[in-house]
Amino acid sequence: MGPLIPNEIITGDWNFVIAILIGIAFGFLLEASGFSSSRNLAGVFYGYNFVVLRVFFTAVIVAMAGLLYFDYFGWLDLSKIFILPTFLSPMILGAVIMGIGFVMGGFCPGTSFTAIAIGKMDAVFFVIGLFIGIFIFGESFPLFKDFFNSGSMGNVTLTDVTGIAAPWFAFGFTVVALAAFWVTAEIEKKVRKNTKEYKF
Amino acid sequence: MNKNYLFLTILMLLLAVGTFFIPKKQLVKHERSPEKLLMDITQPSRYVTTDQVAKMIIEQDPTLELIDVRPADEYNKFTLPDAVNVPLKDILTPESQDNLGIEDMNAVFFSNDDIMADQAWVISRRMGYKNIYVMKGGLNCWIETIINPVEPPETAPETAFETYHFRKAAGIYFTGGNTVQTGDTGTKKAKVKVRRKKKEKAASGGC
Repeated sequence: MGPLIPNEIITGDWNFVIAILIGIAFGFLLEASGFSSSRNLAGVFYGYNFVVLRVFFTAVIVAMAGLLYFDYFGWLDLSKIFILPTFLSPMILGAVIMGIGFVMGGFCPGTSFTAIAIGKMDAVFFVIGLFIGIFIFGESFPLFKDFFNSGSMGNVTLTDVTGIAAPWFAFGFTVVALAAFWVTAEIEKKVRKNTKEYKF
Repeated sequence: MNKNYLFLTILMLLLAVGTFFIPKKQLVKHERSPEKLLMDITQPSRYVTTDQVAKMIIEQDPTLELIDVRPADEYNKFTLPDAVNVPLKDILTPESQDNLGIEDMNAVFFSNDDIMADQAWVISRRMGYKNIYVMKGGLNCWIETIINPVEPPETAPETAFETYHFRKAAGIYFTGGNTVQTGDTGTKKAKVKVRRKKKEKAASGGC
């Protein structure tokens, strides 16, 4: 059946409608997970709050195993979904910059907007900085252009690159994620002795 | 620790292990089972006669798709009007597959006789394509019946004469009325308008 638009079940005009609905759901879930608090978000770097790790790892493993099953049931053709093209070295550098910004600012771009939505002042300054950064990058783009486009590997998946079948990654990630859930719960318990048992 | 977490952990682990047992996708989606294929092969209903093909070409039947399964050099020398060339050895390539399974089109395979066309038909049938046919007798029969029809004896039934007259007229249609028949039947190679199946596109764009 899916994906709906490439299979022409609905037209491409629905793209923006769906994007808005997914955006609202995403924002709601970020807020519901407590992601509009920079204390919660930055906690993962200081070792007292691992809610970020748990939420994102849960999303990853559920989606990963789920997509494999959906493909099998014929609900979603995995060969037709969009795969973000990989630019290896620019992506590594981008991830490092993003991580530094995350520790310093206490938000990632998405969560900063949910934080603004509930009226957090620190998020307002974060977003102002975000737009200044976008402006500087945009204006100085010719300087980075060559690096920006280097290391292109096309729309590849880990299975394409390594030749290892997708279930191995699904299983591996699941084991790592589940182990991380239990380990971080223990760490939190030790770090926050006076708090109640943490709910995840 | 909450028991629910233990339960969820085990459930997720089982689901992840379960992904190992998902069977690999079959490359061909609607593959015909050998038993059904065998039954199809014994049916003569896949054959269309040269008369039927000629009639469809003359009437410019929009559902007719002629597929020449001979090698490209033979196709370039002579073929039927508006036929596309899908050499038998390339029939499994993605480009060739685009010519098959077009909605509302009846694909008719032909070769010099009907052996190669039959082989192409069996392969395509096995891959699950419908609305595919074979021109009985192939191009040899085409030349014999349409281009150089033999006048039936006077004692033949009237239908035989009707067929003969149709063939004679069709022959004139295809050869431009050449009285002297040569191997070259005078079909000028007009640019063939190739209809292709709509590509199944992968999604583009993203966040």
